[in-house]
Amino acid sequence: MTDSDTVLRCEAVTRRFGGIRALKGVSVDIAKGEIFGLVGPNGSGKTTLVNCVTGFYPPQEGRILFEGADITGRKPHRIAAGGIARTFQNVALFKGMSVLENILMGRHNLMHPNPISSLFYPFLARGEEIAHRRKVEEIIDLLQLESVRDEAVDVIPLGLQKRVELARALAAEPRMLVLDEPMAGMNQEEKEYMVRFILDAHEALGLTVLMIEHHMDVVTAICGRVLVLNDGTSLALGPAREAIADPDVIAAYIGTSSDAA
Amino acid sequence: MFYRLSGIHHTGYASAHRLWSVPADRWQVVAVLALALLAPLFVSDLYLGSYVLPWLVWSAAALSLSLLMGLAGQLHFGYAAVMAIGAYTSIHLAQAGVPFALAILGAGLTSAVIGTLFGAAALRVKGLYLVMATLAMQYLVDWVIVNVPAISGGAQATLRTPDVTFLGLPVETLSQRYYFALAWAVLLALFFMNVKRTSFGRALIAIRDKDFAAAVIGVDPFRFKLMAFLTSSFVGGVTGAVLAFCYYRAVTPEQFSFNVSIQLVAMVLVGGLGSVIGGFLGAGFVLLLPIILTNAIADLGASGWIDLSQNLMAHLPLIFYGAMIIGFLLFEPLGLAKIYDNVRKYFLVWPFRHSGS
Repeated sequence: MTDSDTVLRCEAVTRRFGGIRALKGVSVDIAKGEIFGLVGPNGSGKTTLVNCVTGFYPPQEGRILFEGADITGRKPHRIAAGGIARTFQNVALFKGMSVLENILMGRHNLMHPNPISSLFYPFLARGEEIAHRRKVEEIIDLLQLESVRDEAVDVIPLGLQKRVELARALAAEPRMLVLDEPMAGMNQEEKEYMVRFILDAHEALGLTVLMIEHHMDVVTAICGRVLVLNDGTSLALGPAREAIADPDVIAAYIGTSSDAA
Repeated sequence: MFYRLSGIHHTGYASAHRLWSVPADRWQVVAVLALALLAPLFVSDLYLGSYVLPWLVWSAAALSLSLLMGLAGQLHFGYAAVMAIGAYTSIHLAQAGVPFALAILGAGLTSAVIGTLFGAAALRVKGLYLVMATLAMQYLVDWVIVNVPAISGGAQATLRTPDVTFLGLPVETLSQRYYFALAWAVLLALFFMNVKRTSFGRALIAIRDKDFAAAVIGVDPFRFKLMAFLTSSFVGGVTGAVLAFCYYRAVTPEQFSFNVSIQLVAMVLVGGLGSVIGGFLGAGFVLLLPIILTNAIADLGASGWIDLSQNLMAHLPLIFYGAMIIGFLLFEPLGLAKIYDNVRKYFLVWPFRHSGS
């Protein structure tokens, strides 16, 4: 892999919480256009790594580069403005807004929010609102959210809420999408829809995707490469099927035969 | 039914984004506006000057605070101080011969600058601590106003507002002052509604609802909280000037004391956080209820139905008033705006009890 292909590079990322070392020098390169899986048992540091990348927990050691630029320690909103969008494991939608407004919120960086244009709405804001509404409708089409467009976000089912969150992330027109367990708590049908939408978005918008996922069927089906984390260190890195067949990985997930005895 | 969503089809995004899409709502707005415009013709001067006019100004004040508390979710317990800065600035500017329009603008700007400075300091903390920090603003500003004779004209002094003209229109007689206050309240209400349907308002609501999720889509929480303080303090300062020139006409520091801040918070809470109609309903409720209660109890006492001591009579309205606020917080936390919305929804979905989806 050449350097120009690398979208996200983590170099020996270390993050401590008090005495606990949640990440112990994790390094990984993610190439442009790939769907990269991040797996590992509970507490292995997957979400911490994602939080380092998106700026919530800046790493104490190591560097994170996005498209060649050092983003280590940047504030989350600046990283978002740089082209990384993410979703959360527990849905983090804005309860006071409708589905449509939540997705419109995703276009924050592309709009010019200020009180003056709100005051002169017919002259300064209407054109912008409508132009962005048009873009949002394209995403609503892509993710098939037409029927719930005007609903309050807290009354629609969880599967749809996760889809709205994906839509909000896509609305920002990111170059990289970070998904934290996009299928947690979903039934089989919702899962299949979600996989389809992630693939659609990946293909239609040419995104690089980094996703944390526990469903191994999903990981082997759509992820090109995966990184397996255990206890803050990287256990295996490579093509999905090979990485999760690694004996160390199986031992970390299920335990060894001697444990069973 | 007259109140129906069926038959309303949007053929473009412009019509989908308009403010009132139900015709019945539009007729209500027109009717209320017409009543407000004609009020000086059929409301006696006493009622216009001592009920309707202050209600409009305090509604504007409640809306200004609701922008900060309701949309951005930042508690402010020193809002009377923001209004005081606006009131005193506008009076001093007008006395110095600055045209009234510019004096009002100056009032807004001064309040915005001072309010945002305190906001910047206070925004390092959240929740109850923010309440304490804004309380500090209230007491600091109070102290400065009382103790700097150049501002208050002396500890016990009253500052009279000079007669002014706004862009050539005099603001002197009762009806002139009424129309000026009405114009400001309507402008502020429109501004509030436009904020709520544009990206600025959505960013404020996003910070209120989930600040980390707002950050992850690019909202700088600190910047937008500051912008909320700035905008709210600006309109609060202008409202303070309108209050001084249209209603009080003679200003003393006590008119902007801590009690007034609490009263404003009560207006916003009782009316409904972040709601335009809630601002008007809340201000009306908080202003009128004590008066009605006092009169009702006085009438009952006078007709011999109940025998109350003078002391208890004076305090009974306050007791009722406090009980009502607690009642709202317990049973209808979204305030009078929610009750209005429930009634409206009842008609919208009639004859069904709930909407289909």
